[in-house]
Amino acid sequence: METYRRYLLPLLLLLVVMFGTLPVGAAISVQCPGDLDGDAIPDPVYTAETIPDPNPDGILVGDPNPDFDPNVTCMHLSSGDGYITMGDGRPMYMFGFSDVTGIPEDNVFIDGQLSHEFPSPPIALREGDVFWLTLSNVGMVDRPDLFDPHTVHYHGFPQSSNIYDGLPESGLSIKMGASLTYYYLNNDPGTYMYHCHVEATEHMQMGMLGSLYVDPIQNQTGFGGDPNTIAGKEGGPGPTGYVYNDGDGSTAYDVEFALQLGGFDSAFHDASVNTQPLPFALMKADYPMINGRGYPDTVAPVGPPAPPEARPLDGFSTQKVNALIEAAAGDRVLLRLSNLEVTRYFTLGSPGIPMRVVGKDAKLLRGPDGIDLSYTTHSLTFGGGMSYDVILDTTGMSGTHFLYATDLNFLVNGETDDGIGGMLTEIRIAPAP
Amino acid sequence: MKYKLFSNSHSLFVWAAVLLFLLAGSATAAIDGISGTGTGTPADPVTFDLTVKMNAISTADGGSVVFWGYADTSVPPSNANRPQYPGPTLIVEQGQTVEIILTNELELLTGATPNVSIVFPGQQVTATGGVSGLLTREAQTTDVPGTPEDESLVTYTFIATNPGTYMYHSGTRPELQVEMGLLGALIVRPAGFNPLNPTAYGPGTEYDREFLFLLSEMDPLIHETVFAYGPDAPELMETDALSDYFSKYWFMNGRTAPDNMGNAGESAGSLLLYQPYNSLPRMHPGERMLMRVIGGNREMHPFHHHGNHARVIARDGRLLDTGTGGPLAPGEDPDLSFEVFTINSVPGETVDAIFEWTGKGLNWDVYGVSDDPQFATDPPLPHDCTDLVDNETGVAPPDGYGDPGTDTPWEYCADHLKMFPTLLPQKLDLAFGGWYGGSPFLGSMGALPPGEGGLNPNGGFSYMWHSHTEKELTNFDIFPGGMLTMLIIEGWNVDID
Repeated sequence: METYRRYLLPLLLLLVVMFGTLPVGAAISVQCPGDLDGDAIPDPVYTAETIPDPNPDGILVGDPNPDFDPNVTCMHLSSGDGYITMGDGRPMYMFGFSDVTGIPEDNVFIDGQLSHEFPSPPIALREGDVFWLTLSNVGMVDRPDLFDPHTVHYHGFPQSSNIYDGLPESGLSIKMGASLTYYYLNNDPGTYMYHCHVEATEHMQMGMLGSLYVDPIQNQTGFGGDPNTIAGKEGGPGPTGYVYNDGDGSTAYDVEFALQLGGFDSAFHDASVNTQPLPFALMKADYPMINGRGYPDTVAPVGPPAPPEARPLDGFSTQKVNALIEAAAGDRVLLRLSNLEVTRYFTLGSPGIPMRVVGKDAKLLRGPDGIDLSYTTHSLTFGGGMSYDVILDTTGMSGTHFLYATDLNFLVNGETDDGIGGMLTEIRIAPAP
Repeated sequence: MKYKLFSNSHSLFVWAAVLLFLLAGSATAAIDGISGTGTGTPADPVTFDLTVKMNAISTADGGSVVFWGYADTSVPPSNANRPQYPGPTLIVEQGQTVEIILTNELELLTGATPNVSIVFPGQQVTATGGVSGLLTREAQTTDVPGTPEDESLVTYTFIATNPGTYMYHSGTRPELQVEMGLLGALIVRPAGFNPLNPTAYGPGTEYDREFLFLLSEMDPLIHETVFAYGPDAPELMETDALSDYFSKYWFMNGRTAPDNMGNAGESAGSLLLYQPYNSLPRMHPGERMLMRVIGGNREMHPFHHHGNHARVIARDGRLLDTGTGGPLAPGEDPDLSFEVFTINSVPGETVDAIFEWTGKGLNWDVYGVSDDPQFATDPPLPHDCTDLVDNETGVAPPDGYGDPGTDTPWEYCADHLKMFPTLLPQKLDLAFGGWYGGSPFLGSMGALPPGEGGLNPNGGFSYMWHSHTEKELTNFDIFPGGMLTMLIIEGWNVDID
C-alpha cells in the first residue's frame, strides 16, 4: 500500500460535512457521575477550575464533591479510523478505539481523529464497579464517504440488557460527532473482551477489538476471613491478586498479562483504504498478531512508530500494548487469553512452561458441586470470542521461553520472509530475587 | 410509523391475558422433526423411510447450491417427499428400537450413480441389504436383477440406548457426501419423556424450551464441480476443492441468515422448500432453554450467544456428570457441567447447554420505571415486583424474583424501581437496529423515526446468536448473513407458544 499524505483534505471535508449535516445539538458529551469537568475522571473535591460560576452554594476549593462515588469508574473512548505499523514495517489502515479519558470533551472530536489504536485500550475493572463508558464517534477521516456508526459490545457480559449490549441490530449505535454512554454494574469477575459490533465482520476485521477483565471482590476481601489474604492489588499483604472468587487462593497470581489474539487481512485493509469492494469471502489472516503486534514487535516495550498518516495520542505510537511476559522464577504468572480474530481458530502453545487453566469464558473452572475442573496443558485451541485464564508456574524456570501459535504458518508478518514473526511472544524468567 | 403496543388503558387487558396464559399452563416449543411410525419394540420398531435425492437449496444472497439430501419418504411424508438440508430431524425415545430404511434415488446429470449410506455416530447399528461399503452398507441407485437381495435399499437398525443429541450422515465418501448435504440430527428423548415437563437426560436437565442449532458450511465450488462433472470426475481433484476446502456459505439448521429467521416449513415460501427448518429462538425471562448444538460438517465454529452464559451439560449425548452423587435431583446441575459465553462447536460433536436470562443485577429496572421523566412520551408499564414464593418450589421463602402469575414473573426485585441510569442521545445522533422496539425496557415500545425498527413487534430483548468467526456472518461476500440468528426474550405478556 502506498502511503498517502492525504488526511488534510478529508479532514477539511469532514469538518464541512460535520457542520453541514450533523444535527443541531450533536456533540461529544461525557456522562460520568462525579465528573465535574467533562474529562470522564470523577472528581472527589472541587478545584478552582470546577467550582461552578456563579457559585450560589459558596463552594470552596477542596470541598468534597457530593456526587463522587468511589465505586464509579468512567472511561471515554473515541472511535474511528487510524493507522498502525505491521511487524514488517508496513503501514496499515484500520478502524479502532482510543482512550480519550482525561481529554476535555470539547477537544475530543479533533484529538480523537486518526488516533485510534490496535489493540483497543485494555479495560481493567473491579467486581462491584459501576462502569460508565462513553463512546464518541469522531468519524472516518480517511474514508470521508463512510458515515458508519459505532458501538461497544462488552462481550460475555452476564445478564446483558438490550440497550447496553452494543449490538446495532437490536439496539442503538452512535453516529459521527456524538456520544453514547454505556452503563455496566460489574457483578461477575473474569476475562472478557470488547469490540465494535457494527457491520461486525468489517469493523472487527478492521481492528475494533480489545481486552476487558474484571478483578474479583476477593482481591478486596481476601478469603477465609484472613486479612493476610487481601490482594496486593488492593494494598493487602496477600498475593498480587486472584483471578476469581475461589475461596481458597487457588487462583492467586503474582504477575498478570492480558493477551489477545488477532489478525489482519492486508487485502481487506487495502481495499478499505482505497475505497474498493471489500473481500469478505476471501478473508484470511496474513498478519497474525498478539496484542496488535507481530513478533518481534510483540516483545518491544514501546510500540513501533505510527505511520505518518496517524495522529497518535502520545505523538508516537498507535500500538500501545506489548505482549512481553516478564516474571521472576517462582512467580505465578496469570495470562488472560482471548481471541478476537475473525477468520479462524488458533492453537496457542507454551512448550516450555505448562499452563494451568483455571478459568474459561469468565468463569472459574469449577463444577456446580465444587469439583475442580482446572487442568494443566501446553496448548489451548480457541476460536473468536473465547477466553481462557491460565497460570504459569515458573518455579525452577529461567531464561526465555516462547508462547506462540502452533499453527506454525501464522508465525509470519505478511508475505515477507525475514524470519519468524506473527503470533509469537516471549516469556522471560529472571532469577528469583 | 409509531409502534406503541401497550398504552396504559390496555394494561388491564394485557395482564388479564398474561394471567389466562399462565393458568393455561405453558406448552413447550419443540424442535421440528419426525418421529416415525411404530411403537419402538423390536417387533414394531420406530421406522423412518429416507430417500437420497438431488436438488438445489437457496441462499440468502439470491444464490442456489446443488445438494444431495435425505428426503422423508414415509407415508405420509413430512415434506412432500422432498430432499432437504439438513435431513429430517429424527426424534425418538430412549429404549426404542429404531429402523431407518434408506433408498437411493440420486439421479445426476452426468449419469453417475453414486452409492449412499447413513452412519449414526454414538449408536450400535446393524445394517442389512444394499451392498457392502467401507463404513457401513450402502444403497445403490438400482437393484441388480437376478439377485435375491435389493441392492438399492439398506435397513439400519439400532436401539436408542442413551438419550441426547446426535447426528447422522453419509458413510459413503463422507468427505464429499456430507458436504453435498447428506447430514441430519437425531434426538433421543429420555425414557418416559413427558412433553409437559420435558428433560434432556432425566432429572436435573429440565427445560422449558428447546432449540436445535445445527451448524454447517458449504464450499460452492465443490457443488458446482460435482454438478457439472460428477462426483468421480478428475475436475474435482484438479481444482483441489476437497483438499483446499474454502467455505463461503454458513448455515444454521440448513439456512443462511436471514432466511433462517423466517417461518419453518412450506410457509417460508417456494425458495425454501428444500430447507424446511428455521432457527428463531424465543423465550421468557426465567425460562430454561435447552440448546442442542451440532457441528454438522467439517469446520469448527465458536457459537457466541449474546445475553448470558450458558451451562454446558452434555457432549455427544453423554451427561457431564461423574455419577458419584447418584441420580441428579430435579434442578441439580451435572457436577462436571460448566458455563461458557461461546460454545465451541467441533465437527461431528454435539453439545447440550442450558441458557437462562433474567436481567439480574443490572442495577436498573429492566421493565422501566413508569414515571421516569426521560421516557415521559413512551412510559413503560407500571408494574409491581411481587415475591412471596420460590419460583422453583412454589412455596415460601421468596427467592428474590417476581412470582409466576404476577406482573413480571422472574423480575429481579432488588432492581425494581431503580431508574434507567444514562441519558440516551437525541434520536438524530443514533442509528437504530431493526430489532430495537424504541424502548430500553422489556415489553415496552417507543416512537422511532420513520423506517426504523419493526422486527420486534413485542418490545422483546433481542440478542444475536452467531458464529464469532465473524467472517461467517456473510453469504458469499455479502454482509450480513450466514451463521447468525436472533434470540428474542419476550416479556411474559407475550404468548410465545
